[in-house]
Amino acid sequence: MGSTLTLVAFWILFVLVVASALAVVLLRNIVHSALYLVLSFVGVAGIYILLEAEFLAAVQILVYVGAVSVLLIFGVMLTRRGNIRQSNLFNAFSLAAGVVSLALCVLIILALARTPASLPLGSWPVDTVGALAEAFLGPFVVPFEVAAILLLVGIVGAILIAREVKEDK
Amino acid sequence: MITLNHYLMLGGVLFVIGLFGALAKKNAIAVLMGIELMLNAVNINLAAFNRFLNPDKVVGLVFAIFVIVVAAVEVAVGLAIVINLYRQRLNTSVDEADWLKW
Amino acid sequence: MPVWELLSVELLTAFLGLGLLVLGLLVPKGQKRGLGYLAALGLVGIAALAFALREAQGVVWEGYIIDPFGTYFKLLFLFAAILTCVSSFEYIGRLGNGEGEYYALIILSTLGMMILASAGELITLYLGLELMTISFCILATYRRGDMKSAEAGIKYIILGALSSAILLYGLSLLYGSTGSTLIKDISLVVNSGGVTPLMVVGMIFLLGGFAFKMAAVPFHMWAPDVYEGAPTPVTAFLSVASKAAAFAAFLRVFFVALGDSHPLWAEVIVALTILSVVVGNLVAIPQKNIKRLLAYSSISQAGYLLLGIVAFSTLGVGAILYHSMLYVFANMGAFMVATVFYNADKSDEIQDYAGLARRSPLLAAVMLFSLLSLAGIPPLAGFVSKFYLFMAVIDQGYIWLAILAVLMSMVSVYYYLQVVKVMYLGDPPPGRPAIEVPLGVQIALACSLAVLFLFGIYPTPLTNYAFSSAAAFFH
Repeated sequence: MGSTLTLVAFWILFVLVVASALAVVLLRNIVHSALYLVLSFVGVAGIYILLEAEFLAAVQILVYVGAVSVLLIFGVMLTRRGNIRQSNLFNAFSLAAGVVSLALCVLIILALARTPASLPLGSWPVDTVGALAEAFLGPFVVPFEVAAILLLVGIVGAILIAREVKEDK
Repeated sequence: MITLNHYLMLGGVLFVIGLFGALAKKNAIAVLMGIELMLNAVNINLAAFNRFLNPDKVVGLVFAIFVIVVAAVEVAVGLAIVINLYRQRLNTSVDEADWLKW
Repeated sequence: MPVWELLSVELLTAFLGLGLLVLGLLVPKGQKRGLGYLAALGLVGIAALAFALREAQGVVWEGYIIDPFGTYFKLLFLFAAILTCVSSFEYIGRLGNGEGEYYALIILSTLGMMILASAGELITLYLGLELMTISFCILATYRRGDMKSAEAGIKYIILGALSSAILLYGLSLLYGSTGSTLIKDISLVVNSGGVTPLMVVGMIFLLGGFAFKMAAVPFHMWAPDVYEGAPTPVTAFLSVASKAAAFAAFLRVFFVALGDSHPLWAEVIVALTILSVVVGNLVAIPQKNIKRLLAYSSISQAGYLLLGIVAFSTLGVGAILYHSMLYVFANMGAFMVATVFYNADKSDEIQDYAGLARRSPLLAAVMLFSLLSLAGIPPLAGFVSKFYLFMAVIDQGYIWLAILAVLMSMVSVYYYLQVVKVMYLGDPPPGRPAIEVPLGVQIALACSLAVLFLFGIYPTPLTNYAFSSAAAFFH
């Protein structure tokens, strides 16, 4: 891929991700927010493809676009009440939140401006998925097992909390 | 020429947008959406760092996949709790929950 | 030492948790109480094993460090979990459902803390943290049908996830500016003077994330609400063990990985300390609810523990280890009394504790001595541990900070004694029977009381253990 083409693709994805993330945060209808969130997730998957991390892009699409967004939309639908057009309002701290966020944004950009960007683009191992598998079951086997237990805890907890309470007092 | 800083800037901007959403929203589900944006920003950072610093070791990718796993669990449990709360009060606003009472 | 032996404590904890999850489904409804006994006994066994292996040292797959420092914290978590299980028998039995899951979640969150205390690598650290946080969110909502408990759950998951995300951004920058997630590799890069602006930003995010987990001011706002709403045994566990786990991880990241950049973050820690000690103690004064009072007291305790970090020395780390262990027994003692009282009277309001001394002398005595130990009154153990913390900062020239902390300790005596006054001088409401304390809880209360007195009068064995663990951490 030519470097100009990559740059153009990057900026398109940048605008896509940032604009849809802003839409998620600023829109007043939570269903619209949820749909823009999906768009933002897809844009991030595009960024991964640009980084040639195709496996991560696939996981991103499967888990975020396929599962997390659907869960969130389910959550929105199950708890819907009142006027949907006013379902996603700001709270009383929005001004303070804006100031804090803006300050952190400036901080990050200042730090980036002082970071020399001379690193060359490396290349992944030929068999990325194989390398990932070896990492998961080799040096990272402890977190791997913890993640398994964490998923179990999540499933048990979600069922435990969301199931109907029997009225037998 | 596209550099590491391009990706880090995208990560930073996305993180801050997500943080703003998480701090400034009333609806608990919207707060969770903001947190998801923040986690995506972290993943962009991790993947980009990995690609530019030491792609022969796939540590950043491993980290990013773990973050995705945890994010899924967080959303599942978070939504279960939101639904539980909604059932009791028919409302999902976080700040009506006596948020930040001293 | 073979890998399975190094990991034996964690493996057994995982087996115990998963086994209880399965058993909870098999045991018939009337006999679920046995699950609690099994959980407590299993934890006692694991604690004995951990104590036997306290000198074990080794590294598993580069990223998981077994050392006396980590094992000390594991023992602390196990003690807290045992006391939590014992005080839950009655409380959870009344809630009706999900007993097996309850004990399993307590044990699995203990596992998360153990991973956190032993993590020598950022990914492991993050997953241990999340296992702990998510188990706690589920436990916090355990009082089904109670609005406050539901609120506690949602606040904890939202602020927990938010703080994890902030911490994670810091971790990603730390990884990015050093090229490794191994704490020892990061420390090599920092040692060779490689502190970049990006790493400084990462440190800011890390400090924010950790302060959330420790409930240090100004990142404390979740604590009182969550503490008040969660089931009392869970609150007790949350207030002692998750705080200690956050400190363990903080010590590993900031003292080992970022130790050479100490001047960069020292001032921030001083600010957090001052705010936590002052705000925690002052806001505790007007509290009417015992759980909120203890919540603010635990915020101030986070401030005292931070003194050990300010000191940045072996003495400081040893003092943190020592104080956090005694804090477990003092705070668990107070919360166990609150649990028993709630089971009897369905109230957490301090005014309802009137005349407790006449209704149950044991409960009143344990509450009295636990609170006095938290305040740091001799001859209780809390005095010795606070003394070490103050010594550690004075040693580094922060005399004014020690004076401030002592002054604020005096303020804390005032609000602790208010509770004591109500218990001993108030009249019990008419028609209230004496409170019966179950045998298991009696034993647990007696144990924690014994610990507070024993290590107050003769602290040497525990101080030796704490300081040798701290020395091993620094070597």
